[in-house]
Amino acid sequence: MSLGRRAFLQFVGGAIGGTLLTPIPWKLADDSAIWTQNWSWRPSPERGEITEATGTCLLCPGGCGIQVRLVNGHRAIYVKGNPDHVVNRGGLCPVGAAGLQYLYAPYRVTQPLKQTGKRGDPKGFQPISWDEALKVVAAKLTELRQKGQPHAVACLTGQSRSSTADLWKQFFAAYGSPNLYTMPCHSDSTRLAVALATGQEADLAFHLEKATYVLNFGAPLLEGWASPTRAQRLFSRWQTEQPGVPETEFVHVEPRCSLTASKADRWIACNPGTEAALALGIAHVLIREKLFDAAFVADQVFGFEDWTDAAGAQRKGFKALVLGKYSPQDVASLTGVDAEVIQELARQLARQKNAVVLWGPPTDTPNNLYHDLAFLALNALIGAFSSKAMISLVPPQPWQALPDPAMDMEAFKGQGQKPLGQPASTPKTKVRPNTVHAFFNALANGEEYPIELLFIHEANPAYGLPENALAVQALQKAGTVVSFSSYLDETSAYADLILPNHNAFERLDDVIGLPGAPFAFYAVATPILSPQYDTKATGDVLLSLAKALGGTVAQSLPWKSYQDLLKLRAAQIAQAGSGTLVDATFDPASVAPGAPLKPNFSKASDVWRKLTSGLCWVDAPQALDRYATPSSRLELACQGLLASVSANAGDELFMAHYAPLNPSGDAGELPLLLITHRSLSLAPGYVPNAPFMNKLLPDDLLLQQDVFVEVHPSTGKKLGLRPKAKALLKTPRGEAAVRVRFAPTVPAGVIALPEGLGHTAYDEYVQGKGVNANAMVEVQLDPVTGLGTVWATRAQLRLA
Amino acid sequence: MGEVKNSTSKKGLGLVFFLAGFVGALLVGWLVFPNLLYSSKQQPLNFLHSSHEDLSCEDCHFTREDGSYSGVPGVEMCAECHEEPMTESEDERILVEEYIQQEREIPWLVYARQPDNVYFSHVAHTEEQGIECVRCHRDVSAEDKMPVYKENRLTGYSKNTIKMVECEKCHAEKGASNSCHVCHK
Repeated sequence: MSLGRRAFLQFVGGAIGGTLLTPIPWKLADDSAIWTQNWSWRPSPERGEITEATGTCLLCPGGCGIQVRLVNGHRAIYVKGNPDHVVNRGGLCPVGAAGLQYLYAPYRVTQPLKQTGKRGDPKGFQPISWDEALKVVAAKLTELRQKGQPHAVACLTGQSRSSTADLWKQFFAAYGSPNLYTMPCHSDSTRLAVALATGQEADLAFHLEKATYVLNFGAPLLEGWASPTRAQRLFSRWQTEQPGVPETEFVHVEPRCSLTASKADRWIACNPGTEAALALGIAHVLIREKLFDAAFVADQVFGFEDWTDAAGAQRKGFKALVLGKYSPQDVASLTGVDAEVIQELARQLARQKNAVVLWGPPTDTPNNLYHDLAFLALNALIGAFSSKAMISLVPPQPWQALPDPAMDMEAFKGQGQKPLGQPASTPKTKVRPNTVHAFFNALANGEEYPIELLFIHEANPAYGLPENALAVQALQKAGTVVSFSSYLDETSAYADLILPNHNAFERLDDVIGLPGAPFAFYAVATPILSPQYDTKATGDVLLSLAKALGGTVAQSLPWKSYQDLLKLRAAQIAQAGSGTLVDATFDPASVAPGAPLKPNFSKASDVWRKLTSGLCWVDAPQALDRYATPSSRLELACQGLLASVSANAGDELFMAHYAPLNPSGDAGELPLLLITHRSLSLAPGYVPNAPFMNKLLPDDLLLQQDVFVEVHPSTGKKLGLRPKAKALLKTPRGEAAVRVRFAPTVPAGVIALPEGLGHTAYDEYVQGKGVNANAMVEVQLDPVTGLGTVWATRAQLRLA
Repeated sequence: MGEVKNSTSKKGLGLVFFLAGFVGALLVGWLVFPNLLYSSKQQPLNFLHSSHEDLSCEDCHFTREDGSYSGVPGVEMCAECHEEPMTESEDERILVEEYIQQEREIPWLVYARQPDNVYFSHVAHTEEQGIECVRCHRDVSAEDKMPVYKENRLTGYSKNTIKMVECEKCHAEKGASNSCHVCHK
């Protein structure tokens, strides 16, 4: 019998028929579907007991309470707002909700690293032990002190509201360096304005919960202002009808129709950067029509009428200045807001019992000092500082700060040095001007004296500082750069040593004060889970460095651990016996300045237990009945400026006035103005946009890797652009490829660019998306305070 | 005609070839394939439910307050009694020395583990609702050796993992919904 082709086919036919009657095809089809569920790269949640840990979000200064779901106590899977928390009452912003993507990010620094190659070479980082790394830093610190150069050590921290910031202050005072800075923010300039006007070192507290009328000059309430979730809650409170409570009217002034503007009761579009002029125009109407709080002004205000300075010279007062220069017609031509509208706003403002004026740049940067003073003056005129107390002051430290540092000769000498780059003209007040840009400028240009050791803590200036190229140049000039970053960000790429901090979810930390809130605030952030990698809390690193240095430095930082320091805070609260520990039932509207809240705690251990369980300490702000100014009044003409402004200066240099800093560049070549703005879906700060957040970005903001700039359709057409067209954006600081979105919500001649994109570090899901707005904007140093201000940059947009 | 006869005999022979293929495939499909598809694995140690009859089932397998199910207990629970060996058993020696003393969890191979894409809650499937444990799990009361764990080489799941059709049948019997989202959230 021979087996031919036919026999073979018959066999195969039988086999196929037989196979169809076995489980083989059916089972394999089913199993291969299930097989796809178990590919190794497909994430599979750990199984086990689900628990919930309570903590405080440390990703921004907002102080939100969070609850994190954990599997088996060690794998975090979900973050939500704590419904019982006083600040957010269950709300959470996109950064907080995406927070776990930072914890488990592939760009985390998992152990101390040392740069062995050229600075900036990402492949040059090699692991180093903690002991060895700390020895290197301690040796450098000791050496600089022995050489009599303690002031050659500098630090930039992004944590201005944590006890770590106080540890840095204590360390720098005892060690002897004046070069301690925080990342720039709007409160840098308001604190100086407040110090000049009231003589106090304090943050402004706006009693927005009880306001019936809010006139807001640009503060981005819904784009991440102060404590973002609190701002959102305020918005809903204003718009919720409550029996017996009049609804709050919210008027927003901003050139661009931002989210806040679009949700306001009324949006007033002004020309970019002219908000202060509008405020002064409103002040003019209030004064001319005698609508201001005359009793308060007569009793408590200095410099409203003409005055005589210490040298006996006659000076013009605020009234004369405003009546002379800021008539509605003058202001209308500056701001583009009709004179009738200005009068109407002034009358509305005066009619309201609980009116308040709020202000702030759309990006959280320092403001022109005279502009901050203008908004303060307008608030003074409407009586917001009077017994109505729509504005009060919250000191940055609600209780006694750390004990005075022990200082030896070296420390005194070092501290006596001028902060690097700081202009001599900065006003001498209780507040240290945070002249970050002047510092980086001097460092980058090798002026005055070199910086041998630069610490960067929870900050990313190489990306996030306006004019970030300056930070990059400065980092390259510094002797040794030590980064405490938990992530391989743009800045730590230039470090010589990275001593990674625990991530925000892994460390014990605290939040001192809530920006803009009308109460003193303290919260403890307990670790949600134990550290995932070989990292150390920077507070503890500082304490061990102090110990290694010995002498007065070690004496000044005597705590065994950072936790001991935080427990000291709890003890201070218990000892002071003021304020109360609250949950979501606390209503900020019930707080009256100068009326301390009754404590609901007794022992320090009691305070600590409650703080670590998610309660927050709050207290009333101080009453504004004493002014520590030369006149003992609220000064509209700031005599504090006499020392820094030249004696024959014009009268208006002591007072609020409209003083725009002209952007550089040729208006012929760069005919447009670039303004930048923020959004809650874009993280502009120390942490980048997590992938979850990128999912929130609409494709007319980010299309693949291209960011959209907004231009008015008329401007776009004039430039020969079409919607979605690729274009080239050029400013005196740089060039970038963008796409164009025609938006009638920006004024003609203006380009609006979002902040928070254009990273070059981290991983493929973060980097290379859009343009870094900080690289395009121009920083102008305020001639009085020396702070780096940003308002608009000349720009050109042309078809690519 | 010879040609025709030849063809008839070839037809008969053709049936033989066909049947050979058919029967061969059946044999491979029903006898060889099931053994090929699964690998046999031994548990890390032989745990006997029958040796723990002084305990109630709920001492180890219980529903937590939040409604989730504890499943297989962790080594911490074993340590409550087996801090030191209680018998001469080799399995108990392994338990104490290799897991309890080293604070390692026992990598049990769970016969009934459901895939990740299935949402299954034990709280909704209890004896109070008329569903005996043995409806889905094996009867462990008289067991003197744990069964060999058969792992599907392709999917990685146990051979005893309940298939969807079983869930659907029972849901239909009990009048529970068979909508997709009931189990696939």
